[in-house]
Amino acid sequence: MESERGNRTTRNAAALAAAIAELGVQCSLEARGGLALLLPVQESVAALQSPDTRRAVLALARTHGFTHVAIELPNDRRGEGRGTDAPLLGD
Amino acid sequence: MEIETRSAPDSAPADREADLAAWLVARRSIAIGFSGGVDSAYLAVAARRALGREGVLAIIGRSASYPEAQWAAARDVARSFDVRVLELDTSELDDPRYSANPSNRCYYCKTELWSRLVPAARAHGFTTVADGTNADDLADWRPGAQAAREHGIASPLAELGFTKQHIRDASRRLGLPTWQQPSSPCLSSRLPYGTAVTPARLKQVERAESALRALGIAGDLRVRYHDELARVELGADELPRWLEPTRFESLRGALLATGFARVALDLRGFRSGSLNVLHGVVG
Repeated sequence: MESERGNRTTRNAAALAAAIAELGVQCSLEARGGLALLLPVQESVAALQSPDTRRAVLALARTHGFTHVAIELPNDRRGEGRGTDAPLLGD
Repeated sequence: MEIETRSAPDSAPADREADLAAWLVARRSIAIGFSGGVDSAYLAVAARRALGREGVLAIIGRSASYPEAQWAAARDVARSFDVRVLELDTSELDDPRYSANPSNRCYYCKTELWSRLVPAARAHGFTTVADGTNADDLADWRPGAQAAREHGIASPLAELGFTKQHIRDASRRLGLPTWQQPSSPCLSSRLPYGTAVTPARLKQVERAESALRALGIAGDLRVRYHDELARVELGADELPRWLEPTRFESLRGALLATGFARVALDLRGFRSGSLNVLHGVVG
């Protein structure tokens, strides 16, 4: 049975971003422990309003070892001082 | 000692409520750890009906880890149903074992709560002290339950098989305003384990959730604290409309004003114990 906890040894942010792109959602992805933080390009935001797309993204995230997925909309601060795999405190 | 549920989960509401009344009458009087939430409010009002005004004392343990609005709501419920209230201050944030925010943080909180509340109950002549733990809670990760056991706290709702839905239904029949109130665990539950619990962080989360309520978000809502990032969990009914960019922007603006630098919407939405899952405490 698949665990909801995800698996840190198999987390792969780049692979998840590529898989999500195949759904038509172009985004960069910031991994923070078990949280996959999606930063979609403006043109892809509308796609995430579809429940089917959201379900598909969540399923992909689980298969890539993430327990949570959140979306941060594009803004001017994008890219300021962010690592690609910043851990959560205590993670 | 573990709590054992004695009643069948599908027993008739009238039978379950009669069992509770009988349980209460057998104790003659009861002091209740009272947060004003769905469970403890129902227990307090059921006890008031079964035991009369002098037979019940609802004790509020105030601390920074609960929003101020909750205490006001608790007082309102007690006033409306003529339940006597005693208010005590607790100081779990002064305990470094709590403020370090380990995964068993709730144990230290409840130890502080019951170590103040039980003597106060005794001083007012109450030998039975109870909480609002329900039958659903028994399946969840609740280190606070150990502290309750160590202090001899009774959990009649769990013992008699009351699920959350049973309690909501019974509350509605009694006219309690809490019947459809969202669950409201302490503000510390918004901080990932290992992130120190401080009054400033709790206040920031409280302000953030208040700001979102002011935008009209009803139902389940959590602002999860991830340092500079606020991760917002909304109920399934609310999530789709707040993903619309203009609304998302208003939500973000409200949270930026409370001190977060970044705002994200959780794509799955609200789930109880979300940070437990994120940190592998439960799965």
